[in-house]
Amino acid sequence: MPITDPSRIRNFAIIAHVDHGKSTLADRFIQHCGGLSAREMKEQVLDSMELERERGITIKAQSVALRYRAQDGDEYQLNLIDTPGHVDFSYEVARSLQACEGALLVVDATQGVEAQTVSNCYTAVDLGLTVIPVLNKIDLPAAQPQHVMQEIEEVIGIDASNALAVSAKTGLGVPAVLEQIVTQLPPPRGDLTQPLRALVLDSWFDNYVGVVSLVRVVDGCLQAAKSKIQMMSTGADYQVEQLGVFTPKAIPVSQLSAGAVGFMVAGMKQVKAARVGDTVTARLKPAQQPLPGFREIKPTVFAGLYPLHSTDFTAFRNALDKLSLNDSALFYEAETSGALGFGFRCGFLGLLHLEIVRERLQREYRLDLIVTAPTVVYEVIKKDGAALRLENPAALPPPEQIEMIKEPRIMARILVPQNLVGPVLSLCVEKRGSQRNLHYHGRQVMLEFDMPLNEVVLDFFDRLKSVSQGYASLDYDFIDSKPAPIVKVEVLINGDKVESLSVLLHREQSLYRARELVKRMQTLIPRQMFDVAIQAAIGGKIIARETVKALRKNVTAKCYGGDITRKRKLLEKQKAGKKRMKQIGAVSIPQEAFLAVLRTDSK
Amino acid sequence: MNHAAAHRARHSNAPPLALYVHFPWCVKKCPYCDFNSHARRGEIDQRGYINALLKDLDYDLAAHDGARPLGSIFMGGGTPSLFSGAAIHRLLREIGARCAFEEGMEITLEANPGAVEHDDFAAYREAGVNRLSLGVQSFHDAQLQALGRVHNATHAQRAMRAARDAGFANINLDLMYGAPQQTAASAARDVAMAVEFLPSHLSLYQLTLEPNTWFHRHPPTLPDEVQLTAMQRRLQALVGRHGYQQYEVSAYARRGMRCRHNLNYWRFGDYLGIGAGAHAKITERGAITRYWKHKHPRRYLETAGGAQCRGETKRVGAHEALFEFLLNGLRLRDGVETALIHPRTGRTAEQALALLSAVRAQKLVEISGNGSRIKCSAHGYRFLDDILQQLLPTAE
Repeated sequence: MPITDPSRIRNFAIIAHVDHGKSTLADRFIQHCGGLSAREMKEQVLDSMELERERGITIKAQSVALRYRAQDGDEYQLNLIDTPGHVDFSYEVARSLQACEGALLVVDATQGVEAQTVSNCYTAVDLGLTVIPVLNKIDLPAAQPQHVMQEIEEVIGIDASNALAVSAKTGLGVPAVLEQIVTQLPPPRGDLTQPLRALVLDSWFDNYVGVVSLVRVVDGCLQAAKSKIQMMSTGADYQVEQLGVFTPKAIPVSQLSAGAVGFMVAGMKQVKAARVGDTVTARLKPAQQPLPGFREIKPTVFAGLYPLHSTDFTAFRNALDKLSLNDSALFYEAETSGALGFGFRCGFLGLLHLEIVRERLQREYRLDLIVTAPTVVYEVIKKDGAALRLENPAALPPPEQIEMIKEPRIMARILVPQNLVGPVLSLCVEKRGSQRNLHYHGRQVMLEFDMPLNEVVLDFFDRLKSVSQGYASLDYDFIDSKPAPIVKVEVLINGDKVESLSVLLHREQSLYRARELVKRMQTLIPRQMFDVAIQAAIGGKIIARETVKALRKNVTAKCYGGDITRKRKLLEKQKAGKKRMKQIGAVSIPQEAFLAVLRTDSK
Repeated sequence: MNHAAAHRARHSNAPPLALYVHFPWCVKKCPYCDFNSHARRGEIDQRGYINALLKDLDYDLAAHDGARPLGSIFMGGGTPSLFSGAAIHRLLREIGARCAFEEGMEITLEANPGAVEHDDFAAYREAGVNRLSLGVQSFHDAQLQALGRVHNATHAQRAMRAARDAGFANINLDLMYGAPQQTAASAARDVAMAVEFLPSHLSLYQLTLEPNTWFHRHPPTLPDEVQLTAMQRRLQALVGRHGYQQYEVSAYARRGMRCRHNLNYWRFGDYLGIGAGAHAKITERGAITRYWKHKHPRRYLETAGGAQCRGETKRVGAHEALFEFLLNGLRLRDGVETALIHPRTGRTAEQALALLSAVRAQKLVEISGNGSRIKCSAHGYRFLDDILQQLLPTAE
């Protein structure tokens, strides 16, 4: 039976940068508390998607209830709430943290603090969480615990003198962390007598039971036996079918009372019915106020996704329907392109989100897709006063109708070692950023730049990593949209405009970018039977041109008369290679060419 | 009406028939060669192999109802000229005892220049061979060495003269261009020396690196595409001036001297294949089948004349037949007659035109002579492989 006495519950999250050892540490906790037998213990239990495991990034929040006997002789239930590890999912991170009273700040003792960690840690402190610093990878020769402790104090501003030194890999120091969770973190507050309020931390779709929601009960009590609940953002009613906790195995319980974290199944058919951050209340005795922090998350990056083979369209639609069952942030709408045929315009939380969705479609649904260059959402104000949310360059009204275009801007926080500040500053300026702040924190510098999101979407991440030799880390928030001279660069293949290749760029950068774009495409499009002219144009005026020279010939010199099967196999192999390309008119264009604008940093 | 014509009349619908005979041994394997050839170890049992060939032929003839007369025999390899004139003589005599020969019968033997590579050419002539194909490849010693050939330039010259002196009027020379480090000038010198000898036929092959060859595993540096194209143009102009007309991708001939045996492949005729690894294609009652013999000489010798000698027999579907017809026919500079489509593939000319509609729209293939011929356009002829990829039948 799970513990219900709030004084013996601790809810905590782990804040850590990718690769700093969050999942490994979580695994040690599970092992120590006997949640799984050694046989069941796969490495990094919490990252359950194949993709997550490969990338080492947590995408979906998960939780695990740990049973721990503390040195005071009592048994405690420690609810570990896992948080996504990427800036694309910062909203989900905030909601997960909101469900906790404390957090472990895990820093790699060989690497030091990174921007994402700083940002999440600030959120935790703002939400009133107690933060326990933990230095991981202490067993490695390169570990510099003193240095990193100092950095935590300087950069984040919390006391790190009592930081715990551990090695999640070897298990060294792990029991001490569990003990500190009990003694340092406050038990959950919450009023059992108040009307029910439970925070939705995540929802996912299960083929057998429908939507499963991870919730933190703040006030009151959630009853399993057919109790009627209401979602406060929509007012929709449901009936609870099942409650439980993860140990990490799913164990059914009859109730979840204030302070508890667990899962709920309530006959919902779509994850959109239980959005992250929403409040669950009781229908008969509803709460007056929902829990703070809920907002509907809107996609910030859009791209066209088209099946390579038009026959895959229905399968593609079904795959998106299925994926969206599990991903309420994924937006999609059917779209037709002259060159690419039928596809979908999809909206994402960021580039990583796009990458993940694309990879899942390819891997789990075996779909070959063309992805057009991602674009941010521009606000177009027309001369007649009408405002337009522009998610697709193709939909840009003719220039004479446009009063102004506003582009979304972000506040980027970049943490970078002192000796690498120079190149990072120049990069930010090149990306049209204006410096807002610069702080020295020991070896590291925290930069704050106000910059257009468009630049970040184009190739900022990769460039930042390369100019800082991999040391810089980035985090950002949206601030507002500001007018900017945005122009549409169109691409013509052998004289025909290919709308799916159009991109919106800042006027000052358009010439340089367009040149880089056509150059890049020239290297990506294979030589064919005829010359392929790649042109970039703004407002009908050609500003850049490259030619893919025609092949001279493609004939097999010797065709051994008798053995025709061999020749045929060879032709089939060659044809299979071409099948991976999209036919636009007579020209075969490989998938990568559509993303050429993202990779103009060939220098 | 003579004997052969009578046969032909009885099989008026069946395509003409040719016979290919494979000889799987060479003195040594060349690094570019992907044919079924094996370096000779010790003496070849010529008698044993000829016996096997005849048993093989008997089996095939028995399997097909009423043998059609043969239009040509091609003895290829490997190096058939490693066999003595006497052995070839016996083989041809025995084939003649089993099959009718058409008028103007062409009998080709492939021979390699070199001291140990062939018997007295006159002996082959007496055996009944009327066309000699010499694997000269080049007249430059360095070039020949780079290609891994066992002969040198002197051997090549000597072989050509010997062939002529033996009374062969119909001689093909195989020449290779695009070899490692070769320049257009040196390729042109090779061809100039060849035409000086006035052969009736020239095969100019561009060296390609085939899978399962030594060159494929250890790729030499070859001339680039621009150089190769220049080289090819120069060679074509040169042989053109000397009266050789290109009639297939790599084949050039004086008037009336086109290779009948190869034309039969390209016009989608039938052929029997005997010898290790030989392929056959036979049309019977409108159905096309392909089969092939055991590749390895030892296995072949053990099984020849029995059912185990044949690998799998493949039935060629109607779609595939049409594709294969075009694969061969479009290699010919003048293309193929539309009238051949139905008798050779079972598909109608309309079906063929439907298949060709896309490549015709791209102006890669054209229909000429009032709809009587299908051929590549000048542009399409340079991109035959691209055309064929578009014509490939989808999985049936």
